[in-house]
Amino acid sequence: MRQRSLIAITAALAAGALTLTACGSRDSGKSSDSGKGGGTTVTIGVDAPLTGDLSALGLGIKNSADLAVKTANKQNYVKGVTFQIQALDDQAQPSSGQQNATKFVADSSVLGAVGPLNSSVAESMQKVFDDANLVEVSPANTNPALTQGANWQTKKARTYKSYFRTATTDAVQGPFAAQYVYNDAKKKKVFVIDDKKTYGAGLAATFTQEFKKLGGTIAGTEHINPDTKDFSAVATKVKNSGADVVYYGGEYPQAGPLSKQIKAAGAKVPLVGGDGIYDPTFIKLAGSNSAGDLATSVGAPVEQLPSAKEFVANYKAGGYKEEYAAYGGYSYDSAWAIIEAVKKVVEDNGGKLPSDARAKVTAAMQNVSFDGVTGKVSFDEFGDTTNKQLTVYAVKNGAWAPVKSGTYTG
Amino acid sequence: MSGVGPVEPGEGTHAWDDPGASPPSGPPHGRLAQLYDRHRPALLAATAVAALLAGGGYLYATRPQKPPPPPPPYPSQVVSVTYLAARPAPRGAPPRSFTLSVLLSVESGPPVTVTRIAQPYAGLSVASAPLPPFRTNAGATRKIAITMRVTECGKVPENAGLPFLDVTLRNTRAMEDHSYILGSRYAHDLSVALHVACGNLSR
Repeated sequence: MRQRSLIAITAALAAGALTLTACGSRDSGKSSDSGKGGGTTVTIGVDAPLTGDLSALGLGIKNSADLAVKTANKQNYVKGVTFQIQALDDQAQPSSGQQNATKFVADSSVLGAVGPLNSSVAESMQKVFDDANLVEVSPANTNPALTQGANWQTKKARTYKSYFRTATTDAVQGPFAAQYVYNDAKKKKVFVIDDKKTYGAGLAATFTQEFKKLGGTIAGTEHINPDTKDFSAVATKVKNSGADVVYYGGEYPQAGPLSKQIKAAGAKVPLVGGDGIYDPTFIKLAGSNSAGDLATSVGAPVEQLPSAKEFVANYKAGGYKEEYAAYGGYSYDSAWAIIEAVKKVVEDNGGKLPSDARAKVTAAMQNVSFDGVTGKVSFDEFGDTTNKQLTVYAVKNGAWAPVKSGTYTG
Repeated sequence: MSGVGPVEPGEGTHAWDDPGASPPSGPPHGRLAQLYDRHRPALLAATAVAALLAGGGYLYATRPQKPPPPPPPYPSQVVSVTYLAARPAPRGAPPRSFTLSVLLSVESGPPVTVTRIAQPYAGLSVASAPLPPFRTNAGATRKIAITMRVTECGKVPENAGLPFLDVTLRNTRAMEDHSYILGSRYAHDLSVALHVACGNLSR
């Protein structure tokens, strides 16, 4: 009898220990992995260059929007709604972007779009989206006219109420670069080159204006054809001008070879550009002589943002083949802004999407506010981001390294 | 015949009453078995204690732990500097001086110390009240009067569009140089003050 009692006690203790072990399941921070919000499927369109020279940036935009959608589904963030993305390739061409915008509009499940990368492409898409009340949030467009109208320098006027962006504008980026180049880098004579596109020409103009105001000299100006890679004639002009710095308004597929050819022509001067050249591909194309070249880009350095660290970890865990690149955080935040707007509309309508969901989502976007990857995400009366940080990066040891950050608080 | 006769032994079976057959196998009665029999209560108790210890040890080793607190934010991510207005220069300020006031606020995190306030133009010197270093707590704001003196009119910008104010910030996380771009109203007031200080910049 004594032995039986002992066996019973032993069994009870062991069972208790096992039960405790089993009950001690940890909160892993992950919610149900069903990945389904149920009922309605909402599509978020993504438009970016997924092929071609700028695909490094475009694929980063697509993947980051995809990560946002997967995260929302995993968290069942909007009850009754499952999100999906539909990514279309604009090849950095305005005509392709416009066709993609038309496709998104025709699909009634699309309640918002992330993109595009290029300001020139955005110009061709804005009216299509606006006519359909379909909200668009660009993570990368920096041309001021997209939000503030063509005469933004004299009289700001919003043209499209459906257009928003999470990247700050060249109205700040160009002068920010000019201030750094003139005051910090002590360069007083600049040769300005652009690719004649909306983004490049606009950025070069805002840089030039501020550089001159500061007392700097314009040693020369040139426009290049972005379809070629032979810039030897321009490089020779730079050399002969005596400029101590080159400012380029454009993107890295041309900026890289341009920097290389300018140095090869004998002008050992830094090339400076905007967020369009802030990509590792620039350094690969420009070669080892690119050390000291500079780029401004939107936002603070990733390592300064705890929220961005989480994004980087989740992106890595997501198994995406391509880097998230310069606009990854802004793309995630753009997609999340749409998700927040959909959430607001659904919650205000008793848990269901209303029949005029697109118009309501567009209206809700104006008041969206959340702590995103890139900091506080919200929009001003023009649809511009209220988070206006910029950073100067320099090529050091074959990589971009932050050298100065600034915040626009005007 | 309808009856069932005795079952003949199959292959490998033996009659129990066969004196030549080995006894059927049963529980072992070797030395280990005897030892087990003798110390069964103690062994069972020891097993129970070991199971408990193992379970407890596992639970302890894998107990839910609070994640470490996030590191404090970088100072530039929680400090905002906004332009307020032009103000008269303080009494006794040197000629060609003017004052512009700004508001510094710390949103969250540990206190932030301003260790330096500067501006990038070679022809201007800067002093401020309060004088750096000064500390501001989270949730607090601080008015700063920045008095600039033109030291060389030829080295100041006539009408910069987006002039900076460079501030060095320090908290328990990091020390950072950060530029605050105070906007068009600041740019305008700075430009007006420079024109006045330099006689409309007739250098």
